Amino acid sequence: MIDIETALRVLATAGVEFIVVGGVAARAHGSARLTNDLDVVYRRTPQNIQRMSAALDPHAPYLRGAPPGLPFRWDADTIRRGLNFTLTTGLGDIDFLGEITGGGGYDALVTRSKPIAVFGVDVRCLDLDCLIEVKRAAGRPRDLEAIAELEALREERERFNKS
Amino acid sequence: MNDDGLAGVSRHPLEPDPVIEAYKRDIDRTLLRENLKRSVEERLRDLMRLQRFADEWRRAAQRTFR
Repeated sequence: MIDIETALRVLATAGVEFIVVGGVAARAHGSARLTNDLDVVYRRTPQNIQRMSAALDPHAPYLRGAPPGLPFRWDADTIRRGLNFTLTTGLGDIDFLGEITGGGGYDALVTRSKPIAVFGVDVRCLDLDCLIEVKRAAGRPRDLEAIAELEALREERERFNKS
Repeated sequence: MNDDGLAGVSRHPLEPDPVIEAYKRDIDRTLLRENLKRSVEERLRDLMRLQRFADEWRRAAQRTFR
């Protein structure tokens, strides 16, 4: 379970540049599917990495699924040396992705995202067409039903817009 | 419909995939239509409510069947 409201507020108020992707983005578009984590693509600039490190540090980030007691440090050096981080935090599970298959990194995706105002903050969310494209590019069998739902959602939007 | 401005424009429209088309037949579109009437914040609050319910359900099942 993820406290989406607090997680988005924490990141946005710290000035972290990120794009919401994955299941929460799908839900923002109108998907009815349940998701238990928050996936974001973050901008890999030194300043942004620093902001991201500081924003999440109070929420006890740790590598999801790793045995307890590993010497994991959530700091700018760790983020710089890695790319994608699947974390468990006090706010719930958050995936910080430097890149996603079929979409690339923040700078490539930012033009395919839209700003949304939620929970009193402004965040960027991947647009529906791009969400479908990256899910199809990932080619995971478990995504087939989710892709079908997103494509149905796009058809429903078009139908509403025409009527 | 609530115009949330999130639709976007596909740069390279993808060809229909026959497997995805087959899955699409089973999608409950009434839920999608209802969600489209809501704001983005309402959709995310619904997700959080659903997560809490699923979490409570999981815990109840663990208590009952352990």
